[in-house]
Amino acid sequence: MSSTLTTALRGLRLTPFLPIRPSVTLPSIPSRPLSTTSVPLNKMSPQYLAAKGLNKKSKAKNNAPRQPNFINMLRHLAVLSPRRIPAPLRMARNRYLRHWTIHRAWLMYRRKEREAREKVWMRQYQSMNHACEELRLTSGPGSRDEGSLFRTALEKWGVYGLKGVPIEYTRAQTETPARVAWNHDWKR
Amino acid sequence: MASLRGLSRPVRGLPLSQISRQPYCCSIRCASSSQPSAAELKDLEDSGLRAPPLNEDEKKDFRPWKRQVDRKFGLPSGRYSYHPPKFDRGPLHPVQSPPSSDPTARDYVPGPFNLPRLRQTYLSTVASDIMTLTYLHTPPGTPDKEASQRLREWDGSSPYHKNRPLRAPRGSPVLPLRERDINFTNIPEIKEISIASYVPAALQDMDHLLVARTMLLAITGTTPEITKTKADVAQWRIRSGEKAGVKTTIYGNAAYEFLDRCINIVFPRIKDWKGIKASTGDSSGNLAWGFTPENMRLFPEIEVNASVYPPKMLPGCRVFVKTSATSDRQARLLLQAMGVPFHGQVRD
Repeated sequence: MSSTLTTALRGLRLTPFLPIRPSVTLPSIPSRPLSTTSVPLNKMSPQYLAAKGLNKKSKAKNNAPRQPNFINMLRHLAVLSPRRIPAPLRMARNRYLRHWTIHRAWLMYRRKEREAREKVWMRQYQSMNHACEELRLTSGPGSRDEGSLFRTALEKWGVYGLKGVPIEYTRAQTETPARVAWNHDWKR
Repeated sequence: MASLRGLSRPVRGLPLSQISRQPYCCSIRCASSSQPSAAELKDLEDSGLRAPPLNEDEKKDFRPWKRQVDRKFGLPSGRYSYHPPKFDRGPLHPVQSPPSSDPTARDYVPGPFNLPRLRQTYLSTVASDIMTLTYLHTPPGTPDKEASQRLREWDGSSPYHKNRPLRAPRGSPVLPLRERDINFTNIPEIKEISIASYVPAALQDMDHLLVARTMLLAITGTTPEITKTKADVAQWRIRSGEKAGVKTTIYGNAAYEFLDRCINIVFPRIKDWKGIKASTGDSSGNLAWGFTPENMRLFPEIEVNASVYPPKMLPGCRVFVKTSATSDRQARLLLQAMGVPFHGQVRD
Protein backbone atom coordinates (compact mmCIF):
# COMPACT_ATOMS: atom_id res chain seq x y z
CA MET A 1 0.00 0.00 0.00
CA SER A 2 2.73 2.41 0.99
CA SER A 3 4.78 1.76 -2.14
CA THR A 4 1.67 2.16 -4.31
CA LEU A 5 0.94 5.49 -2.73
CA THR A 6 4.51 6.62 -3.15
CA THR A 7 4.47 5.60 -6.80
CA ALA A 8 1.23 7.47 -7.35
CA LEU A 9 2.67 10.58 -5.73
CA ARG A 10 5.77 10.37 -7.89
CA GLY A 11 3.53 10.26 -10.93
CA LEU A 12 1.97 13.51 -9.77
CA ARG A 13 5.39 15.18 -9.66
CA LEU A 14 4.92 15.71 -5.94
CA THR A 15 7.55 14.44 -3.62
CA PRO A 16 5.93 12.50 -0.79
CA PHE A 17 6.43 14.05 2.60
CA LEU A 18 8.06 11.13 4.26
CA PRO A 19 8.92 11.25 7.93
CA ILE A 20 12.53 10.83 8.84
CA ARG A 21 13.30 7.17 9.00
CA PRO A 22 16.05 4.79 8.05
CA SER A 23 16.72 5.27 4.38
CA VAL A 24 16.85 1.58 3.56
CA THR A 25 13.07 1.40 3.75
CA LEU A 26 12.60 3.90 0.95
CA PRO A 27 11.21 2.22 -2.15
CA SER A 28 13.26 2.47 -5.32
CA ILE A 29 11.87 4.25 -8.36
CA PRO A 30 9.84 1.86 -10.51
CA SER A 31 10.45 1.35 -14.21
CA ARG A 32 8.41 3.55 -16.54
CA PRO A 33 7.41 1.64 -19.66
CA LEU A 34 5.93 4.56 -21.62
CA SER A 35 8.57 7.14 -20.80
CA THR A 36 11.29 8.13 -23.23
CA THR A 37 13.35 10.13 -20.78
CA SER A 38 16.27 8.57 -19.00
CA VAL A 39 15.46 6.68 -15.87
CA PRO A 40 16.64 8.55 -12.77
CA LEU A 41 19.12 6.79 -10.61
CA ASN A 42 18.07 5.04 -7.47
CA LYS A 43 17.91 7.69 -4.77
CA MET A 44 20.28 5.81 -2.50
CA SER A 45 22.72 4.59 -5.12
CA PRO A 46 26.31 5.85 -4.89
CA GLN A 47 26.10 7.42 -8.37
CA TYR A 48 23.01 9.43 -7.41
CA LEU A 49 24.50 10.63 -4.15
CA ALA A 50 27.72 11.58 -5.89
CA ALA A 51 25.80 13.50 -8.55
CA LYS A 52 23.85 15.34 -5.89
CA GLY A 53 26.92 15.97 -3.78
CA LEU A 54 25.13 14.49 -0.80
CA ASN A 55 27.70 11.98 0.24
CA LYS A 56 30.40 14.53 0.91
CA LYS A 57 30.56 17.06 3.67
CA SER A 58 30.72 20.65 2.55
CA LYS A 59 33.64 21.80 4.67
CA ALA A 60 35.02 18.48 5.85
CA LYS A 61 38.63 17.62 5.56
CA ASN A 62 37.93 13.93 5.34
CA ASN A 63 36.05 12.64 2.35
CA ALA A 64 34.18 9.99 4.25
CA PRO A 65 30.65 9.38 2.94
CA ARG A 66 27.78 10.86 4.90
CA GLN A 67 25.83 8.80 7.33
CA PRO A 68 22.35 7.80 6.15
CA ASN A 69 20.58 9.84 8.81
CA PHE A 70 22.26 13.01 7.54
CA ILE A 71 21.23 12.19 3.99
CA ASN A 72 17.71 11.71 5.30
CA MET A 73 17.75 15.10 6.99
CA LEU A 74 19.03 16.78 3.85
CA ARG A 75 16.37 15.19 1.71
CA HIS A 76 13.70 16.03 4.25
CA LEU A 77 14.66 19.69 4.14
CA ALA A 78 15.06 19.60 0.35
CA VAL A 79 11.43 18.56 0.00
CA LEU A 80 10.43 21.79 1.77
CA SER A 81 12.73 24.09 -0.18
CA PRO A 82 11.04 26.87 -2.14
CA ARG A 83 12.07 25.18 -5.37
CA ARG A 84 9.95 22.15 -4.56
CA ILE A 85 6.71 23.92 -3.67
CA PRO A 86 3.97 22.20 -5.66
CA ALA A 87 2.01 24.02 -8.34
CA PRO A 88 -0.98 25.98 -7.08
CA LEU A 89 -4.42 24.44 -7.23
CA ARG A 90 -6.31 25.06 -10.44
CA MET A 91 -9.99 25.74 -10.25
CA ALA A 92 -12.61 26.52 -12.83
CA ARG A 93 -15.36 29.02 -12.25
CA ASN A 94 -17.94 26.90 -10.46
CA ARG A 95 -15.48 25.08 -8.29
CA TYR A 96 -13.84 28.36 -7.34
CA LEU A 97 -17.21 29.85 -6.49
CA ARG A 98 -18.01 26.88 -4.27
CA HIS A 99 -14.75 27.39 -2.41
CA TRP A 100 -15.33 31.10 -2.16
CA THR A 101 -18.82 30.59 -0.75
CA ILE A 102 -17.63 28.12 1.85
CA HIS A 103 -14.74 30.40 2.78
CA ARG A 104 -17.06 33.35 3.29
CA ALA A 105 -19.40 31.20 5.36
CA TRP A 106 -16.47 30.08 7.50
CA LEU A 107 -15.34 33.67 8.04
CA MET A 108 -18.87 34.64 9.01
CA TYR A 109 -19.10 31.73 11.43
CA ARG A 110 -15.81 32.70 13.05
CA ARG A 111 -16.86 36.31 13.34
CA LYS A 112 -20.14 35.35 15.00
CA GLU A 113 -18.34 33.08 17.45
CA ARG A 114 -15.86 35.83 18.31
CA GLU A 115 -18.53 38.46 18.74
CA ALA A 116 -20.54 36.16 20.97
CA ARG A 117 -17.45 35.59 23.12
CA GLU A 118 -16.69 39.27 23.38
CA LYS A 119 -20.29 39.98 24.24
CA VAL A 120 -20.12 37.55 27.14
CA TRP A 121 -16.93 39.18 28.40
CA MET A 122 -18.46 42.62 28.07
CA ARG A 123 -21.54 41.59 30.05
CA GLN A 124 -19.39 40.03 32.75
CA TYR A 125 -17.33 43.19 33.00
CA GLN A 126 -20.40 45.37 33.20
CA SER A 127 -21.91 43.13 35.88
CA MET A 128 -18.74 43.47 37.95
CA ASN A 129 -18.85 47.20 37.43
CA HIS A 130 -22.46 47.46 38.59
CA ALA A 131 -21.86 45.20 41.59
CA CYS A 132 -18.81 47.18 42.72
CA GLU A 133 -20.66 50.44 42.31
CA GLU A 134 -23.47 49.06 44.43
CA LEU A 135 -21.02 47.87 47.10
CA ARG A 136 -19.22 51.19 47.14
CA LEU A 137 -22.40 53.04 48.04
CA THR A 138 -23.53 50.47 50.62
CA SER A 139 -22.74 50.84 54.31
CA GLY A 140 -21.52 47.48 55.37
CA PRO A 141 -22.92 44.86 57.71
CA GLY A 142 -23.40 46.05 61.26
CA SER A 143 -21.68 49.25 62.19
CA ARG A 144 -19.16 49.29 59.33
CA ASP A 145 -18.93 52.45 57.32
CA GLU A 146 -19.88 53.01 53.73
CA GLY A 147 -17.81 51.08 51.18
CA SER A 148 -16.05 48.72 53.56
CA LEU A 149 -17.31 45.70 51.64
CA PHE A 150 -16.16 47.38 48.44
CA ARG A 151 -12.64 47.81 49.76
CA THR A 152 -12.57 44.19 50.89
CA ALA A 153 -13.79 43.01 47.51
CA LEU A 154 -11.12 44.90 45.64
CA GLU A 155 -8.15 43.68 47.65
CA LYS A 156 -5.61 42.31 45.20
CA TRP A 157 -3.10 40.71 47.54
CA GLY A 158 -1.21 37.91 45.84
CA VAL A 159 -2.99 38.10 42.52
CA TYR A 160 0.23 38.65 40.62
CA GLY A 161 2.29 36.52 42.97
CA LEU A 162 3.73 33.13 42.19
CA LYS A 163 0.93 31.41 44.10
CA GLY A 164 -1.81 33.44 42.53
CA VAL A 165 -3.14 30.53 40.49
CA PRO A 166 -3.59 27.13 42.17
CA ILE A 167 -2.07 24.27 40.24
CA GLU A 168 -5.35 22.35 40.20
CA TYR A 169 -6.85 25.14 38.12
CA THR A 170 -4.42 24.72 35.26
CA ARG A 171 -5.71 21.43 33.88
CA ALA A 172 -6.46 21.86 30.19
CA GLN A 173 -10.03 20.97 29.33
CA THR A 174 -10.59 17.71 27.48
CA GLU A 175 -13.54 15.86 26.04
CA THR A 176 -12.83 12.92 28.34
CA PRO A 177 -11.75 14.34 31.69
CA ALA A 178 -10.44 12.12 34.45
CA ARG A 179 -12.84 10.81 37.08
CA VAL A 180 -10.59 12.14 39.85
CA ALA A 181 -9.62 15.65 38.88
CA TRP A 182 -6.42 15.86 40.89
CA ASN A 183 -4.54 13.19 42.79
CA HIS A 184 -3.36 15.03 45.89
CA ASP A 185 -1.72 11.92 47.36
CA TRP A 186 0.73 11.49 44.50
CA LYS A 187 4.37 11.15 45.53
CA ARG A 188 7.39 10.65 43.36
CA MET B 1 -18.09 23.04 -31.13
CA ALA B 2 -15.33 20.51 -31.54
CA SER B 3 -14.45 22.01 -34.90
CA LEU B 4 -14.02 25.40 -33.26
CA ARG B 5 -11.62 24.22 -30.64
CA GLY B 6 -8.54 25.00 -32.69
CA LEU B 7 -9.54 28.63 -33.21
CA SER B 8 -8.50 31.45 -30.97
CA ARG B 9 -10.85 32.66 -28.30
CA PRO B 10 -12.13 35.86 -30.01
CA VAL B 11 -13.03 33.88 -33.13
CA ARG B 12 -14.83 31.29 -31.04
CA GLY B 13 -16.94 34.02 -29.52
CA LEU B 14 -18.24 35.19 -32.91
CA PRO B 15 -21.88 34.37 -33.63
CA LEU B 16 -21.29 31.79 -36.41
CA SER B 17 -23.94 29.87 -38.27
CA GLN B 18 -26.31 27.60 -36.42
CA ILE B 19 -25.05 24.50 -38.24
CA SER B 20 -21.55 24.56 -36.84
CA ARG B 21 -22.81 24.90 -33.29
CA GLN B 22 -24.85 21.73 -32.76
CA PRO B 23 -26.87 23.33 -29.97
CA TYR B 24 -28.21 20.44 -27.86
CA CYS B 25 -27.21 16.88 -28.45
CA CYS B 26 -29.92 14.29 -27.94
CA SER B 27 -27.44 11.90 -26.40
CA ILE B 28 -27.70 13.80 -23.14
CA ARG B 29 -31.39 12.97 -22.92
CA CYS B 30 -30.76 9.36 -23.91
CA ALA B 31 -28.43 8.82 -21.04
CA SER B 32 -31.20 9.37 -18.54
CA SER B 33 -33.77 7.16 -20.26
CA SER B 34 -33.71 4.57 -17.48
CA GLN B 35 -35.94 6.17 -14.86
CA PRO B 36 -34.79 5.70 -11.24
CA SER B 37 -37.40 4.44 -8.81
CA ALA B 38 -39.22 6.72 -6.38
CA ALA B 39 -37.37 5.21 -3.44
CA GLU B 40 -34.06 6.28 -4.92
CA LEU B 41 -35.32 9.79 -5.46
CA LYS B 42 -36.67 10.16 -1.95
CA ASP B 43 -33.45 11.65 -0.63
CA LEU B 44 -33.31 14.10 -3.49
CA GLU B 45 -36.89 15.18 -2.91
CA ASP B 46 -36.15 15.96 0.74
CA SER B 47 -33.10 18.02 -0.16
CA GLY B 48 -33.18 21.65 0.80
CA LEU B 49 -31.55 22.52 -2.51
CA ARG B 50 -34.68 21.63 -4.49
CA ALA B 51 -35.86 24.36 -6.86
CA PRO B 52 -39.54 25.01 -7.50
CA PRO B 53 -40.79 23.21 -10.62
CA LEU B 54 -41.07 25.19 -13.84
CA ASN B 55 -44.39 25.72 -15.53
CA GLU B 56 -44.88 25.32 -19.29
CA ASP B 57 -44.24 28.98 -20.17
CA GLU B 58 -41.03 29.07 -18.22
CA LYS B 59 -39.91 25.87 -19.89
CA LYS B 60 -40.62 27.40 -23.26
CA ASP B 61 -38.66 30.53 -22.38
CA PHE B 62 -35.69 28.58 -21.06
CA ARG B 63 -33.50 28.40 -24.16
CA PRO B 64 -29.88 28.70 -23.12
CA TRP B 65 -28.64 28.02 -26.65
CA LYS B 66 -30.66 31.01 -27.87
CA ARG B 67 -29.15 33.21 -25.22
CA GLN B 68 -25.69 32.07 -26.20
CA VAL B 69 -26.33 32.73 -29.90
CA ASP B 70 -27.66 36.21 -29.21
CA ARG B 71 -24.76 37.13 -26.96
CA LYS B 72 -22.43 39.61 -28.64
CA PHE B 73 -19.27 38.56 -26.80
CA GLY B 74 -18.37 35.14 -25.51
CA LEU B 75 -18.23 34.40 -21.82
CA PRO B 76 -14.82 33.90 -20.29
CA SER B 77 -13.66 30.36 -20.55
CA GLY B 78 -15.03 28.06 -17.91
CA ARG B 79 -11.75 26.21 -17.87
CA TYR B 80 -8.78 27.19 -15.78
CA SER B 81 -7.30 30.38 -17.09
CA TYR B 82 -5.60 32.15 -14.20
CA HIS B 83 -2.21 31.36 -12.76
CA PRO B 84 -1.04 33.15 -9.63
CA PRO B 85 2.38 34.75 -10.07
CA LYS B 86 5.33 32.78 -8.87
CA PHE B 87 7.25 35.70 -7.41
CA ASP B 88 6.25 38.70 -5.35
CA ARG B 89 7.32 41.69 -7.39
CA GLY B 90 6.40 44.32 -4.83
CA PRO B 91 3.26 46.21 -3.94
CA LEU B 92 3.38 48.48 -7.00
CA HIS B 93 3.54 45.74 -9.62
CA PRO B 94 0.30 45.26 -11.57
CA VAL B 95 0.45 41.47 -11.18
CA GLN B 96 -0.31 40.62 -7.54
CA SER B 97 -0.73 37.34 -5.76
CA PRO B 98 -4.21 36.48 -4.53
CA PRO B 99 -4.73 36.54 -0.76
CA SER B 100 -3.53 33.47 1.09
CA SER B 101 -7.13 32.56 1.90
CA ASP B 102 -7.72 32.01 -1.82
CA PRO B 103 -7.42 28.27 -2.53
CA THR B 104 -5.60 28.95 -5.78
CA ALA B 105 -2.92 31.04 -4.05
CA ARG B 106 0.53 29.54 -3.80
CA ASP B 107 0.73 30.14 -0.05
CA TYR B 108 -2.74 28.74 0.64
CA VAL B 109 -2.87 26.43 3.63
CA PRO B 110 -6.14 24.62 4.31
CA GLY B 111 -7.43 24.47 7.82
CA PRO B 112 -7.70 24.90 10.76
CA PHE B 113 -8.82 21.34 11.36
CA ASN B 114 -8.87 21.33 15.14
CA LEU B 115 -9.27 23.57 18.16
CA PRO B 116 -6.28 23.16 20.47
CA ARG B 117 -7.45 22.25 23.94
CA LEU B 118 -5.33 24.95 25.54
CA ARG B 119 -6.99 27.53 23.33
CA GLN B 120 -10.40 26.08 24.16
CA THR B 121 -9.56 26.30 27.86
CA TYR B 122 -8.36 29.86 27.45
CA LEU B 123 -11.42 31.04 25.55
CA SER B 124 -13.98 29.34 27.75
CA THR B 125 -12.45 29.80 31.20
CA VAL B 126 -9.06 31.44 31.57
CA ALA B 127 -9.82 34.69 29.77
CA SER B 128 -12.84 35.64 31.85
CA ASP B 129 -11.12 34.48 35.03
CA ILE B 130 -8.12 36.73 34.38
CA MET B 131 -10.46 39.60 33.67
CA THR B 132 -12.32 39.01 36.93
CA LEU B 133 -9.20 38.43 38.99
CA THR B 134 -7.52 41.66 37.95
CA TYR B 135 -10.62 43.83 37.90
CA LEU B 136 -10.05 47.30 39.31
CA HIS B 137 -13.06 49.46 39.92
CA THR B 138 -13.04 53.07 38.84
CA PRO B 139 -16.02 55.01 40.23
CA PRO B 140 -17.81 56.99 37.54
CA GLY B 141 -16.64 60.55 37.31
CA THR B 142 -13.09 59.81 38.40
CA PRO B 143 -10.68 62.00 36.42
CA ASP B 144 -8.02 60.17 34.38
CA LYS B 145 -4.64 59.85 36.06
CA GLU B 146 -1.91 61.96 34.57
CA ALA B 147 0.37 59.54 32.75
CA SER B 148 4.05 59.91 33.53
CA GLN B 149 6.19 61.09 30.66
CA ARG B 150 8.34 58.27 29.34
CA LEU B 151 10.25 60.42 26.88
CA ARG B 152 12.44 63.20 28.29
CA GLU B 153 11.78 66.76 27.32
CA TRP B 154 14.40 69.30 26.35
CA ASP B 155 15.09 71.95 28.96
CA GLY B 156 14.62 74.86 26.55
CA SER B 157 18.01 76.42 27.25
CA SER B 158 18.61 76.79 23.54
CA PRO B 159 16.23 78.31 20.99
CA TYR B 160 16.93 75.28 18.82
CA HIS B 161 15.09 73.08 21.32
CA LYS B 162 11.81 74.33 19.93
CA ASN B 163 9.90 71.65 17.97
CA ARG B 164 12.57 69.06 18.61
CA PRO B 165 11.26 65.53 19.10
CA LEU B 166 11.42 64.28 22.70
CA ARG B 167 14.52 62.46 23.89
CA ALA B 168 14.68 58.70 24.35
CA PRO B 169 14.59 57.30 27.91
CA ARG B 170 17.80 57.35 29.85
CA GLY B 171 19.98 54.27 29.61
CA SER B 172 18.18 52.37 26.88
CA PRO B 173 16.83 53.22 23.46
CA VAL B 174 13.92 50.80 24.01
CA LEU B 175 10.65 52.39 25.05
CA PRO B 176 8.90 49.90 27.37
CA LEU B 177 5.16 49.57 27.24
CA ARG B 178 3.04 51.24 29.87
CA GLU B 179 0.86 48.79 31.73
CA ARG B 180 -2.83 49.04 30.99
CA ASP B 181 -5.57 47.74 33.26
CA ILE B 182 -7.21 44.60 31.93
CA ASN B 183 -10.75 45.00 30.73
CA PHE B 184 -12.91 42.99 28.37
CA THR B 185 -11.22 44.39 25.28
CA ASN B 186 -7.61 43.67 26.21
CA ILE B 187 -7.51 40.37 28.02
CA PRO B 188 -3.95 39.07 27.55
CA GLU B 189 -3.58 36.22 25.07
CA ILE B 190 -0.77 34.40 23.35
CA LYS B 191 0.14 35.91 20.02
CA GLU B 192 3.14 33.94 18.81
CA ILE B 193 6.07 31.86 19.98
CA SER B 194 9.55 32.32 18.57
CA ILE B 195 12.09 29.56 18.95
CA ALA B 196 15.75 30.30 18.35
CA SER B 197 18.84 28.17 18.61
CA TYR B 198 22.43 29.34 18.48
CA VAL B 199 24.78 26.69 17.12
CA PRO B 200 28.36 27.93 17.31
CA ALA B 201 29.65 24.45 16.48
CA ALA B 202 28.27 24.97 12.98
CA LEU B 203 31.26 27.22 12.25
CA GLN B 204 33.47 24.13 12.31
CA ASP B 205 31.04 21.55 11.01
CA MET B 206 27.92 22.47 9.03
CA ASP B 207 26.28 19.22 10.04
CA HIS B 208 25.42 20.82 13.39
CA LEU B 209 23.33 23.36 11.54
CA LEU B 210 21.58 20.60 9.65
CA VAL B 211 20.67 18.85 12.90
CA ALA B 212 19.41 22.12 14.39
CA ARG B 213 17.26 22.83 11.35
CA THR B 214 15.77 19.38 11.40
CA MET B 215 15.11 19.66 15.12
CA LEU B 216 13.21 22.93 14.83
CA LEU B 217 11.37 21.63 11.80
CA ALA B 218 10.25 18.58 13.76
CA ILE B 219 9.20 20.59 16.80
CA THR B 220 7.36 23.45 15.14
CA GLY B 221 6.35 22.11 11.74
CA THR B 222 7.74 25.19 10.02
CA THR B 223 10.90 25.54 7.99
CA PRO B 224 13.35 27.46 10.18
CA GLU B 225 15.50 30.21 8.83
CA ILE B 226 19.23 30.36 9.34
CA THR B 227 20.67 33.20 11.41
CA LYS B 228 24.14 34.64 11.09
CA THR B 229 26.59 35.87 13.68
CA LYS B 230 26.59 39.60 14.20
CA ALA B 231 29.92 40.30 15.83
CA ASP B 232 33.60 39.50 15.41
CA VAL B 233 34.90 37.96 18.61
CA ALA B 234 38.32 36.38 18.35
CA GLN B 235 38.07 34.50 21.65
CA TRP B 236 34.90 32.74 20.55
CA ARG B 237 36.30 32.20 17.06
CA ILE B 238 33.37 33.85 15.36
CA ARG B 239 33.34 36.31 12.55
CA SER B 240 30.31 38.35 11.59
CA GLY B 241 28.13 37.03 8.81
CA GLU B 242 28.68 33.32 9.35
CA LYS B 243 25.80 30.91 9.56
CA ALA B 244 25.53 29.85 13.18
CA GLY B 245 21.93 29.45 14.25
CA VAL B 246 18.33 28.81 13.35
CA LYS B 247 15.07 30.43 14.33
CA THR B 248 11.40 30.16 13.57
CA THR B 249 8.11 31.63 14.69
CA ILE B 250 4.76 29.93 15.09
CA TYR B 251 1.46 31.73 15.41
CA GLY B 252 -2.06 31.05 16.61
CA ASN B 253 -3.13 27.45 16.96
CA ALA B 254 0.37 26.11 16.36
CA ALA B 255 1.67 28.28 19.20
CA TYR B 256 -1.01 26.95 21.56
CA GLU B 257 -0.20 23.36 20.57
CA PHE B 258 3.50 23.94 21.17
CA LEU B 259 2.84 25.47 24.60
CA ASP B 260 0.56 22.57 25.44
CA ARG B 261 3.32 20.11 24.60
CA CYS B 262 5.81 22.06 26.71
CA ILE B 263 3.51 22.25 29.72
CA ASN B 264 2.14 18.73 29.75
CA ILE B 265 4.95 16.63 28.26
CA VAL B 266 8.31 18.37 28.50
CA PHE B 267 8.23 20.36 31.75
CA PRO B 268 7.09 17.48 33.99
CA ARG B 269 9.90 15.25 32.72
CA ILE B 270 12.80 17.65 33.24
CA LYS B 271 14.85 16.36 36.14
CA ASP B 272 15.35 18.54 39.22
CA TRP B 273 13.48 21.39 37.62
CA LYS B 274 11.95 24.05 39.84
CA GLY B 275 10.17 26.01 37.16
CA ILE B 276 10.81 28.98 34.97
CA LYS B 277 12.65 31.86 36.57
CA ALA B 278 10.07 34.42 37.60
CA SER B 279 12.41 37.27 36.70
CA THR B 280 12.03 36.53 32.99
CA GLY B 281 10.44 39.06 30.71
CA ASP B 282 11.23 42.16 28.72
CA SER B 283 8.85 44.32 30.82
CA SER B 284 6.50 44.46 27.84
CA GLY B 285 4.67 41.20 28.33
CA ASN B 286 6.97 38.80 26.49
CA LEU B 287 8.38 35.93 28.54
CA ALA B 288 11.19 33.59 27.60
CA TRP B 289 12.92 30.43 28.76
CA GLY B 290 15.51 27.99 27.52
CA PHE B 291 15.78 24.29 26.89
CA THR B 292 19.04 22.41 27.23
CA PRO B 293 19.97 19.73 24.66
CA GLU B 294 18.88 17.05 27.13
CA ASN B 295 15.51 18.74 27.50
CA MET B 296 15.06 18.82 23.75
CA ARG B 297 15.12 15.04 23.68
CA LEU B 298 11.95 15.04 25.80
CA PHE B 299 9.86 16.53 23.01
CA PRO B 300 7.71 13.75 21.57
CA GLU B 301 8.60 14.65 17.97
CA ILE B 302 12.27 14.19 18.74
CA GLU B 303 11.76 11.21 21.00
CA VAL B 304 10.13 9.11 18.28
CA ASN B 305 13.10 9.75 15.99
CA ALA B 306 15.81 9.92 18.60
CA SER B 307 18.20 7.77 16.58
CA VAL B 308 18.24 10.28 13.72
CA TYR B 309 19.80 13.00 15.85
CA PRO B 310 23.39 12.09 16.63
CA PRO B 311 24.42 12.31 20.27
CA LYS B 312 26.11 15.57 21.26
CA MET B 313 24.94 17.30 18.09
CA LEU B 314 21.46 18.27 19.21
CA PRO B 315 21.45 21.93 20.32
CA GLY B 316 19.34 23.55 22.99
CA CYS B 317 17.01 26.41 22.19
CA ARG B 318 15.41 29.51 23.58
CA VAL B 319 11.65 29.97 23.55
CA PHE B 320 10.09 33.44 23.46
CA VAL B 321 6.39 33.60 24.22
CA LYS B 322 4.92 36.85 22.95
CA THR B 323 1.65 37.82 24.54
CA SER B 324 -0.66 40.76 24.13
CA ALA B 325 -0.16 41.62 27.81
CA THR B 326 1.36 45.01 28.48
CA SER B 327 3.48 44.03 31.48
CA ASP B 328 5.41 41.02 32.67
CA ARG B 329 3.16 40.34 35.62
CA GLN B 330 0.09 40.18 33.40
CA ALA B 331 1.87 37.83 31.02
CA ARG B 332 3.02 35.71 33.97
CA LEU B 333 -0.53 35.51 35.24
CA LEU B 334 -1.66 34.29 31.82
CA LEU B 335 1.02 31.60 31.59
CA GLN B 336 0.45 30.57 35.22
CA ALA B 337 -3.23 30.09 34.46
CA MET B 338 -2.22 27.85 31.57
CA GLY B 339 0.02 25.75 33.77
CA VAL B 340 3.54 27.13 33.43
CA PRO B 341 5.26 26.99 36.84
CA PHE B 342 7.43 29.90 37.96
CA HIS B 343 9.95 30.06 40.76
CA GLY B 344 12.34 32.50 42.34
CA GLN B 345 12.38 36.24 42.69
CA VAL B 346 9.73 38.25 40.91
CA ARG B 347 10.99 41.29 39.08
CA ASP B 348 8.43 43.74 37.79
